[in-house]
Amino acid sequence: MGLRNYLDKQVAPHFHEGGKFQKYYVFYEMFDTMLYSPSSTTGAAAHVRDGIDLKRVMMTVWFAALPALLFGLYNVGYQANLQITEFGFSPLPGWRTDLVAALGGFDYTSLWANVLHGAVYYIPIMIVVYLGGLLWEGLFAWKRGHEVNEGFFVTGILFTLILPPSIPLWQVFLGISFGVVIGKEVFGGTGKNFMNPALIGRAFLFFAYPAQISGDEVWVAVDNFSGATPLSLAASGNIDFDAGLTALATAGQQVDISWMHTFVGGIQGSIGETSTLAILIGAGILLLTRIASWRIMAAVALGVVGTSWMFNAVGSDTNPMFAMPWYWHMTLGGLAFGLVFMATDPVSAAMTDAGKWVFGILIGFMVVVIRVINPAFPEGMMLAILFGNLCAPLIDYFVVQANIRRRQRRTVGGAV
Amino acid sequence: MAEYKTKDILFQPIFNNNPIALQILGICSALAVTTQVSTALTMAIALTTVTAFSSLFISILRNQIPNSIRMIVQVVIIASLVILVDQFLRAFSYELSRQLSVFIGLIITNCIVMGRAEAFAMSNPPVPAFIDGVGNGLGYSLILVILGIVRELFGSGSLLGYQVLPVISAGGWYQPNGIFLLPPSAFFLIGLIIWGLRAWKPQQVEQDQFSIAPNSRTSDLY
Amino acid sequence: MAFDKDSIGGTLAAALVLCIVCGVVVSTAAVALRPQQEANRILDRQSNVLRAAGRYSPEIDIAAEFEKIEHRFVDLRTGEEVEMPADYDQQGAASDPEQSTLLTQSEDIARVRRVPHVGEVYLARDEQGELESIILPVHGYGLWSTMYGFLSLEADANTIAGLVFYEHGETPGLGGEIDNPRWRQLWQGKQLLNDEGEVAIQVVKGSVDERAPGAETRVDGLSGATLTSVGVSNMVRFWVGENGFGPFLERLRESSSAALDQGVR
Repeated sequence: MGLRNYLDKQVAPHFHEGGKFQKYYVFYEMFDTMLYSPSSTTGAAAHVRDGIDLKRVMMTVWFAALPALLFGLYNVGYQANLQITEFGFSPLPGWRTDLVAALGGFDYTSLWANVLHGAVYYIPIMIVVYLGGLLWEGLFAWKRGHEVNEGFFVTGILFTLILPPSIPLWQVFLGISFGVVIGKEVFGGTGKNFMNPALIGRAFLFFAYPAQISGDEVWVAVDNFSGATPLSLAASGNIDFDAGLTALATAGQQVDISWMHTFVGGIQGSIGETSTLAILIGAGILLLTRIASWRIMAAVALGVVGTSWMFNAVGSDTNPMFAMPWYWHMTLGGLAFGLVFMATDPVSAAMTDAGKWVFGILIGFMVVVIRVINPAFPEGMMLAILFGNLCAPLIDYFVVQANIRRRQRRTVGGAV
Repeated sequence: MAEYKTKDILFQPIFNNNPIALQILGICSALAVTTQVSTALTMAIALTTVTAFSSLFISILRNQIPNSIRMIVQVVIIASLVILVDQFLRAFSYELSRQLSVFIGLIITNCIVMGRAEAFAMSNPPVPAFIDGVGNGLGYSLILVILGIVRELFGSGSLLGYQVLPVISAGGWYQPNGIFLLPPSAFFLIGLIIWGLRAWKPQQVEQDQFSIAPNSRTSDLY
Repeated sequence: MAFDKDSIGGTLAAALVLCIVCGVVVSTAAVALRPQQEANRILDRQSNVLRAAGRYSPEIDIAAEFEKIEHRFVDLRTGEEVEMPADYDQQGAASDPEQSTLLTQSEDIARVRRVPHVGEVYLARDEQGELESIILPVHGYGLWSTMYGFLSLEADANTIAGLVFYEHGETPGLGGEIDNPRWRQLWQGKQLLNDEGEVAIQVVKGSVDERAPGAETRVDGLSGATLTSVGVSNMVRFWVGENGFGPFLERLRESSSAALDQGVR
């Protein structure tokens, strides 16, 4: 425990009251608690909205996101290497390519080469997200005189996973800044944000740089590559829901899109969103530890299944999305990731049990409606969850009011 | 009747009692016409003119206006002025009037104009009323022009139509930020302006409509 | 007698006087400024036509430059030229059932609903009086809005010289990029017809492979704005097709441009 002693005896006093660096206490505290879990515990419920220790919750979510992260890392590299070795695209010029060429090459059958190629894109994004986020969080904590809290730990990792791998780093910084400041800090910080900060950041980028990030064209980290995302392929009728991708599109797409493939995750897309399987592992962890609400997950799924059945039954000659079955909806785009990690965010979701059902079904309904009917946006999960977040307080209000009325009737006996 | 200092009437509405930032009036047009500095500027001038002259005329007529129809009279005066401004714009600045389209006409429904007529001009002599109209117009103009500058600069990389940041699609380096061309960005910006203004002048912060219950366990219980 | 402003008579009198004064002021302004406004409207249209013809720059005298452009009218059903009053309004005629034809759903690819019997064309001539370009007013539905513009063709009535829009409500940054000079430049030199003489011009998704056959009739789509691109594509195809200016353009191509000079005049 040399380090602990050193910190306590040598470093900490400078930051405590009367010390030289008293003003910068928050920054010290942030790194101290990152190294050591604080032994002091709150006797009463400090965070009314959530009973268990915030740091542990956040760590668990982080671990739950890990399978999606690791698979994403591999897949980013795999997609790029596949295009480079099999179809003769050249890698994006820059230090990343030099590094990959020096250390691993571009062989798409090699696990190492793929992970390496993915890492050179993912790691810088992650560093920028955490630096940017900590900068803003630290600034606000310092100004407001509280400690930097752990919420950002999760926001950061989730934000990196919903970004396309080839996104410029300055856009990453803008996105996370907007998400943290406008999405969270202006409302009072962690626990008071009524919308998911990671999604706010993503939505900002979505509307700010729509040509690159609206989910119409697919992202692969090679030069001059242009292809449609599976969702917009489906919208233009190029996916046969029984057999997979039709021959017409295969020529331009150069990747196999069958349902199994979209489930396991060998498709192009945002870093953490491609593999529904990896996300399901995360979902398992979250449900076992009871951190995420099973009600919300079930309700979103229910909403998606019900709404897509409805569209299947209505049918349409001109819009192929009407025919998309629910299990395709589940595996394409960001639906699975949003369902497991974003919709269940305990701060921005509905809080009452009945409210969670309404909230989840609303999201499930909206995502399918946006995907099928809105011609401008192929993907709708982000917008659907933000819409759900907006409605959550209202839903809770009605649930609580209904409860009050029911109890009143019970005790007063319906006397008017 | 309270005595006003001319300077106060003119400058109070700019920072201390800004129609947009403190009274949150006139937001609709502030969202709609501020994607470019030129339209924001035109709108600002049009609104300042209408507010100043409607206050002036209403103040001149304030002792003749029958009480029972005073709102209608105010609206008629304001509407006439707005139509005049609109006609002049169409005649002498066609391109701008096309870009502003209905928003010039909608000055009639702008709460700032009606608000000043009812709150100030009806009970003050013409000269202070005119100055009050100009002052409030300037307060509105200030916010509009700030929004216009920020939105045009970041949304299209230009100011008043001159390219300041060379955009990528024309061979430069700047990637225009599309969100600034969409109306919600004006909401964010107005919010940030209000934030900044209230941090600078804390007396503008509104009283909470609720009070947080005292902590059930205070330290002196232990 | 003192004026009692709050009596019924006083109220009515005040209202009457106010209405008369305001009415006079407003109508005087409207009447006095009408000629100026009308001139602006015409100038605006002329500058848009010049823009489509590639002859516009901020310094030029629009009215003088426009002198070199002939305004003619074409019966869209036959392709014959007809005489019309100079203030004939094609857009107005399109909404008048007497002067327009209702399109069936399969014909109406540009979603314009009705097409007028008589359309306007502008013919731009060079210094020697030779026909340089043909400018056609076009409109069609994009993603959110009807887009209005001018399509200009070279004298062969097949090669595109330019496409400009003067009014649309597409998403800024995505569909709104139809105003982008770079994208508009892509249209220059493209052909309307393929080797078989069918209307083949279209906007494709993604970028055009320049080496592939038929590349001269394809234009790159706008990234992230598939439906606006499709809308522009359909709009151009409609107006150069058989329900639009197709018959007229066909006549131009068959005869030489000299035949047009003889025309009806």
